[in-house]
Amino acid sequence: MAGIAAERYTGASIKRSEDPRILTGSGRYVDDIKLPGMLHAAFVRSPLAHARVLSVDVSAARALPGVVAAYTGAELETMTIPGPDVLMEMLGVGGPTPEFSLLATDKVRFAGDPVAVVIAESRYIAEDGCELVDVEYDDLPPVVNAAVALDPGSPPLFANLGDNIVLPRSRREFGEVAATFAEADRVIDVRIDVHRHQNVPMEGRGCVASYDAGTGVMTVYAATQSVHVSRKAVATRLGIEPEQVRVLAGDVGGSFGLKIGASREELAVAAASRALGQPVKWVEDRGENLTASGQAREESFDVRAAVSDDGDLLGLDVQVVVDTGSYPGMGTMVPAIMEEMLPGPYKLAALGFESTAVTRNKPSYVAYRGPWASETFVRERVLDLVAKDLGLDPLEIRLRNVAPRTDPPAVMVTGRPLAGITTRESLERVAKLVDFPAFRRRQVEARGRGRYLGIGVATFIEAAPGPRAPEPPSGPLGLESMRLLLDEDGIVVLFTGQMPHGQGHQTTLAQIAADEFGVPFEQVRVVVGDSDVVPFGLTGGSRSATMTGGVALHGARQLKAKVLEFASLLMEASAQDLQITDGHVWVRGDPDSAVAVGDVARRAAAGEFGADASLEVEAAFDGGEGGWSGGSHCAIVEVDVETGLVTVERYVVAEDCGALINPAVVEGQIRGGVAQGIGAVLLERSAYDEDGNCQSATLMDYLVPTACDVPRIEIEHLQTVPLDPDVNFRGVGEGGMIVAPPTLVNAIEDALSPFGVRIYEQHLPPARILELIANGDA
Amino acid sequence: MDITLRINGVTRTGSPEPRKTLADFLRDDLNLTGTHIGCEHGVCGACTVIVDGRAVRSCLMLAVQAAGSEVTTIEGLAPDGELGGLQQALWDSHSFQCGFCTPGFVMQATAYLHAHPDAGEQQVREALSGNICRCTGYQSIIDGVLLAADRARQS
Repeated sequence: MAGIAAERYTGASIKRSEDPRILTGSGRYVDDIKLPGMLHAAFVRSPLAHARVLSVDVSAARALPGVVAAYTGAELETMTIPGPDVLMEMLGVGGPTPEFSLLATDKVRFAGDPVAVVIAESRYIAEDGCELVDVEYDDLPPVVNAAVALDPGSPPLFANLGDNIVLPRSRREFGEVAATFAEADRVIDVRIDVHRHQNVPMEGRGCVASYDAGTGVMTVYAATQSVHVSRKAVATRLGIEPEQVRVLAGDVGGSFGLKIGASREELAVAAASRALGQPVKWVEDRGENLTASGQAREESFDVRAAVSDDGDLLGLDVQVVVDTGSYPGMGTMVPAIMEEMLPGPYKLAALGFESTAVTRNKPSYVAYRGPWASETFVRERVLDLVAKDLGLDPLEIRLRNVAPRTDPPAVMVTGRPLAGITTRESLERVAKLVDFPAFRRRQVEARGRGRYLGIGVATFIEAAPGPRAPEPPSGPLGLESMRLLLDEDGIVVLFTGQMPHGQGHQTTLAQIAADEFGVPFEQVRVVVGDSDVVPFGLTGGSRSATMTGGVALHGARQLKAKVLEFASLLMEASAQDLQITDGHVWVRGDPDSAVAVGDVARRAAAGEFGADASLEVEAAFDGGEGGWSGGSHCAIVEVDVETGLVTVERYVVAEDCGALINPAVVEGQIRGGVAQGIGAVLLERSAYDEDGNCQSATLMDYLVPTACDVPRIEIEHLQTVPLDPDVNFRGVGEGGMIVAPPTLVNAIEDALSPFGVRIYEQHLPPARILELIANGDA
Repeated sequence: MDITLRINGVTRTGSPEPRKTLADFLRDDLNLTGTHIGCEHGVCGACTVIVDGRAVRSCLMLAVQAAGSEVTTIEGLAPDGELGGLQQALWDSHSFQCGFCTPGFVMQATAYLHAHPDAGEQQVREALSGNICRCTGYQSIIDGVLLAADRARQS
């Protein structure tokens, strides 16, 4: 018999069970789906940012051999049910709702807006057909910047809104804002801009929709973060009962927030499949991805900070304009999260927060890895600007302001308790790892030789999920559910609504369940990506470690209790005297008593323990006591003041995402996020001219980091402060991208301090670095 | 246009339109979907295959240009289901996440290590800098390739 002592998988860098298939080309991504009779869709897109659509003539396209159908926006409206954005409705986002169609009908609202779809026997022919579609436009003045969008007289993108304001200006105050500012030693006043950039997963959006007229079932093979959100969107817009829609997803080639639910194009493809009675595939090309899939950020902040001469950050007063792009959705959710998170892990006692959101003629706002992250950028930037004014070290000002870990915990001025935060430890740890004093000496010495080194530090916390609060912490998505069963081969099967797209859930959830239940890792199967069999769920918001890890743990525990209950009948022993290890039930202390768990399952299925004895459980988890995820990052950069090129010499992370499930997976998430942060600061920008034309429509114009741009990233895991008796795994997906931009910008400003440079923006390509140096105050 | 070429050691024939890319020919006509298409303008490297010993972006090559060539795709590296040395090292190193860029990296690294078995970290970084991964920050991929090279030298 194999050893009774179980190996513990949780906490070990178990090799991913996903990898053999992806390393051999056997992964199955949406573009790999090929169905009998499958047709291909391509979209005709607007070359103008804002224009009335006078006519759309698809007749020449329809006449092209190989083209099966072509639909205008107006035709698609007759094939679908109009309504608001389904995801926004599910999340309960308020505010006025613009009415928009799947394809443009009366007007186009950004360069890339789809106006017609051509369905053909091949993608090549479908694109030929698009060339033959004749669209007549009447130009309207484009609304491309926030100042114009805020003007009530600007031409409204949506007639039913009347203007371009989708969230009216609102203001909330926490603490004594006016008094804090009146009594402060000094007030600094800055405007900070975050530029527009975007997800750019290596696989774009796409789907294959296949309608079966006989059964009335619509099957959609999707690249999505949630099969259920996609299902709901398809059912709602096509007017099909949700039970008649099945969404399947296989491997998903990255997303970072882009693929939540079904896009307008995917819904149009589903409608076309129903009309034609044939499967239709659409996979966006890179041009569509860069110009039409959606973009993020482009936010401007007017910030006032009340500080003491000693460096206490007493109050912040922040006004933000959020850009929701042309078809408002996720963007309207962002201000509320920014407001809540702005105090971060600091003792900040007063916050005024004023926000508004506008629509304008650029692609729609989509979630991108920490959608609210600009609050961290603003706060960590302001702290450095204050430190410079006061002659304080960036580390010193943070240690001075960070909230202590106390019992009962300190509370953020916006309401959440700062239970268990390890911000101080993480700051001290990165400082020690890089040896701040030694760096300062080296920096001085380098400057003497005309080399400009800089160091930057920044810290963050993320509510992933956040500690249990008086209000249920589970958010608009609610509890996390999981169905678990033990099959007759002794396999523990987990059905989860998580839809992994690189996170490795099939490995990490199996680690947790294997340990908790007592089977080898290989004896757990994690089922994802079929709306007929998995419960509701969504991979996003750094949610899965706690919520799904937690429900896997509790679900496996429930399932184990059932197995022990039946085994006790079988083995004539009390359940308390039984244990499960290595896939066998044992009477404690009696190695000869082993019964394979599969035997128990077979006997249960045969009715030995009663007619309705089932080894299946439905589990739910509310996040337990929860806790913060967070950490501090530190970068050392060198700026070449002749070329403006920035090199990241060293990058150090001290992180706390709770108890680690799989350290290698955690480190991959952090490094990937930091790489995207490096891209955001040094390379990436979704660029538009004043007419709203995209200037970054290829990967030669929208630059993402390569292996030569991202340094080795050193990561230390801090000892966490557990809050829950069982579940202390916390989310780690977004943190790298949240805190890397301020870390890098702080380092660049430090490098350029001999030139008197102050930085109030996030995008710092070489040309901009040279401008900053030229305009420096020194 | 009728073409004949050898793919993963097997002679294959096909009749692609002259405008069809090698990537689309492999995926659509031959069902070799391991080769992924990430940009169709030669930047991301996801579609990299080996043609007559050289790493090639199959989105920038027409199928008809590959007539008479010897082509290796990701499916040709582990035909019997056993991972090759590079693939094993990449698995051991937790190199990838979503897997979409993976075949391109594996093919690029295969061709590179074949020609440069003693490459060091900086050389490997440069050799792979024409392939984009959006998930990992590259370190785990570089580590995996270096581990494979190291193991190959040991054996």
